[in-house]
Amino acid sequence: MQDLTESFPDRDPAVGHDTPTVHPPLPPHDALMEVCDRLPCAFAILEPDGLVSFANAAFRTLFNLSSHPGLGGPDLSRVASGAVRSLKSLDGRILPVNPVTFGGGRTLVLVEDKSSSSPAEMTERRDALTGLANRVVLKEQIVTALTGPEPDGTETALLLLDLDRFKAVNDTLGHPIGDKLLCRVVDRLRATVRKTDLVARLGGDEFAILQRSPKQPEAAKALAQRLVDLIGRTYLVDDHILNIGVSIGVAFPPNDGNDPDRLLKSADLALYRAKEEGRGRFRFFEQEMDARAQARRTLELDLRRAFALRQFEVYYQAQMSLHDKQVVGFEALARWRHPQRGMVSPAAFIPVAEEIGLISQIGEWVLLTACREAASWPGNQRIAVNLSPMQFGKAGLVETVAAALATSGLPPERLELEITESVLLDDTAGTLAILHQLRSLGIRIAMDDFGTGYSSLGYLRSFPFDKVKIDQSFIRDMPTDGDSAAIVKAIIGLGISLGISTTAEGVETEEQLNRLRAEGCTDIQGYLLSKPVPASDLAAIFNRSTHP
Amino acid sequence: MSEQVHRLVYFSRNAMPGTSDEIVEGVHQILKSSRRNNARAGVTGALLFNSGCFAQVLEGPSSAVSETFERIQWDERHSEVLVLDYAPVDGRVFPDWSMSFVGASQSGQHLFGDVSAASGFNPIHLKAAQVLTTLHRLVMDEEKQTA
Repeated sequence: MQDLTESFPDRDPAVGHDTPTVHPPLPPHDALMEVCDRLPCAFAILEPDGLVSFANAAFRTLFNLSSHPGLGGPDLSRVASGAVRSLKSLDGRILPVNPVTFGGGRTLVLVEDKSSSSPAEMTERRDALTGLANRVVLKEQIVTALTGPEPDGTETALLLLDLDRFKAVNDTLGHPIGDKLLCRVVDRLRATVRKTDLVARLGGDEFAILQRSPKQPEAAKALAQRLVDLIGRTYLVDDHILNIGVSIGVAFPPNDGNDPDRLLKSADLALYRAKEEGRGRFRFFEQEMDARAQARRTLELDLRRAFALRQFEVYYQAQMSLHDKQVVGFEALARWRHPQRGMVSPAAFIPVAEEIGLISQIGEWVLLTACREAASWPGNQRIAVNLSPMQFGKAGLVETVAAALATSGLPPERLELEITESVLLDDTAGTLAILHQLRSLGIRIAMDDFGTGYSSLGYLRSFPFDKVKIDQSFIRDMPTDGDSAAIVKAIIGLGISLGISTTAEGVETEEQLNRLRAEGCTDIQGYLLSKPVPASDLAAIFNRSTHP
Repeated sequence: MSEQVHRLVYFSRNAMPGTSDEIVEGVHQILKSSRRNNARAGVTGALLFNSGCFAQVLEGPSSAVSETFERIQWDERHSEVLVLDYAPVDGRVFPDWSMSFVGASQSGQHLFGDVSAASGFNPIHLKAAQVLTTLHRLVMDEEKQTA
C-alpha cells in the first residue's frame, strides 16, 4: 500500500492556509484509506503474484478474502489473467468484474455491482473498518423479521457477541494490531454464518448476528457453540500469537421481545449472564434474568432512598487484646434496615453502593456517626472505621476525617481507619500521600483483609501501618486446613518482625483463640467475643470487664 | 532474493468421529487439500497424525503462514489447537515438501511414540523443538524407505 500512497503527490501545504480547519488533517495515507473504504464501488488491488494487497470495505463486504477459493473465497488470481470475468459474492450473486492493469504489474479489480449504495448510505449503514452492517441495519432487519411473513416456517434468533480480553490486546499492542485482529474475527464470523444471516458490528468489540433458520432454537445453539469454539481459537497477527474469546447472549423474537430494543435488551441480559458465569460461553435469555435485573434495579432505587429515610445504622463489633483480655476497641459496621427487606447484609448492598457511587456518602456518614458514638463511651476504646477505595478517589477525604474528629471531639489517637490492599492498587503515590496526611492527624491506619488479595509485602512496606487484620477465612479454616494455619502463622510473624499489631477476624472457638495466642497474635475480633451490636447494646459489653 | 521465513509449530486433537478407517480417510483428505493450497501459497512443512492428535509444522513467508494457519483454525475436524511456536527463523527445515505426512507407517507411529510416551499424550508438555526434530527425523526416515 505504501506505493499506492506515494503515487499521489503530497498535498501542497500552502493550500490549507486560507481555510483554517477545525480538525487536524489526517496523514495522507490514513485519509486515503478512509476514502477508499467509503467508496460505494467495490475494488481490490492484486500484486503481480496474484495476492491481494488491498481491498476496500465494499469489496470486503461482497467477498470473503480470508477464505481460500475452494472454501468460498474469490479466485482473484484468475481474474488478473482475464480467465475469470465474474465472481460470486457472499450473498450468492454473480457479479461482473473488470481487471485493469496498472503500474508495477499490479491489477485493479473493479466490481460492477448495480445494487451498490451511495457513499452517504455506505457511511450511515456500514462499519468503516470491517464493512459489516451497523446497528441501523440490524434494527431494520429485526423489524422485518418481526413483521414479515415466514411461509417456510423460518424463525429468527438474535445473537449478541462480546469479545473477551480484546481490550487487553488493544491496550498492550495498540490499535493497529487490535484492528487487524477484529478483521480476523469478522472473517471467522462471516465464514461461520449462512448467506441468509446478517452480521453487524455494534461497537468496539460488540457484534450481533441475526440468524434465520427453520429449526430454532437448535440452529442458534449450534451456531453459538461453533462461534465460542472458533472465535476462541488462537490468532496469528503480524508476529503476535493472540488469544481472545467470545461471550454470547441469545434471544428469540417475539417471545423475548417484539421490538428491536426489547429484543436487544433481552439478548444483552443473556450476554451479561454468560459473562458473569465466566465468559467464553453462551446463554439463552430467560425471563428470570429480566426478573433479576428488575430486582437489582429496585435494590438500587431503595438504596438511594435509604439515606434520606434514615434506614442506615451503625453496629459495633468488639476487639480484644490477648495480652490483658481487655476490650480495646470496636469496628464500626454499616447496616441497612429496610421496612420490607428487613436487615440487608452488607455483602448484598455494599457492592451495589460502590457501583452507583453511593459508598462515599455512606462511608462519610458511618465515620461521623461512629466518631460521635465513640466520643460518648466511658473508656478510651478505639473505634475502627472502613474506608473504601472510592473515598480515596474523591477530593477532600483528609478534610472530611478532620471535620469528623472536630465535630465529635474524639481524640485522633482513638480513631483507626481500615483500608484494603485494593486502595493501594491504583495511583499509589497519591494514595500514600493521603495516608501520610491522615496519619499526621494522629490517626492509626490498619490494613484490612490481609491474605485475600495480593498480600503484597511491598504494600506493607510502602506505608508504616499500625495494624494488620487477618482475614476471617483463614481463621475459620485454621484448625482443619494446614495451608490456612501456615498463612496465619506467617502473617503474625510478619507483624512481629515489623513491630505492628495483628488482629485476627472471625474468631469463633476457644481452639482458634488458643492457637492465635500461641502464635503471638495481639488482638482478636469475632463471635467468640461478641457479634456486631447496635450502640444501645454496648453498655453490656463495657460492664463485662473481661473475657474467658 | 531471500525471503524471511516464519515457522509455526502447533498441536491439536482430532475431532473427526467415525471408525479408524474413516478417520484415516479424513486425514488423507486434509493432506490432499493442504498440499494443493500450500504449494500455491509457498508454504512447506510436515503433518503428523497419530493417537488422535495432529502435530504440524508450517514454514514460509509470515503472511502466507498466518493465512494458512487461519484456514486451519476454521477446520472443524480438529480442536484444542495449541500453538507451540511462531517466530522468524533462519531457513526452512522442510524446504522440499509441500506437506510431508508421517503417521501412516508403523515406523512413524513407533518413532513418534517416544514423544507421545514422554509427554503422556499431553500436548502441554510438548516443546516446539521436540516436535520439529522428531518430525524432521521421521520425514527423513520415510524418504529413505520409499526411495
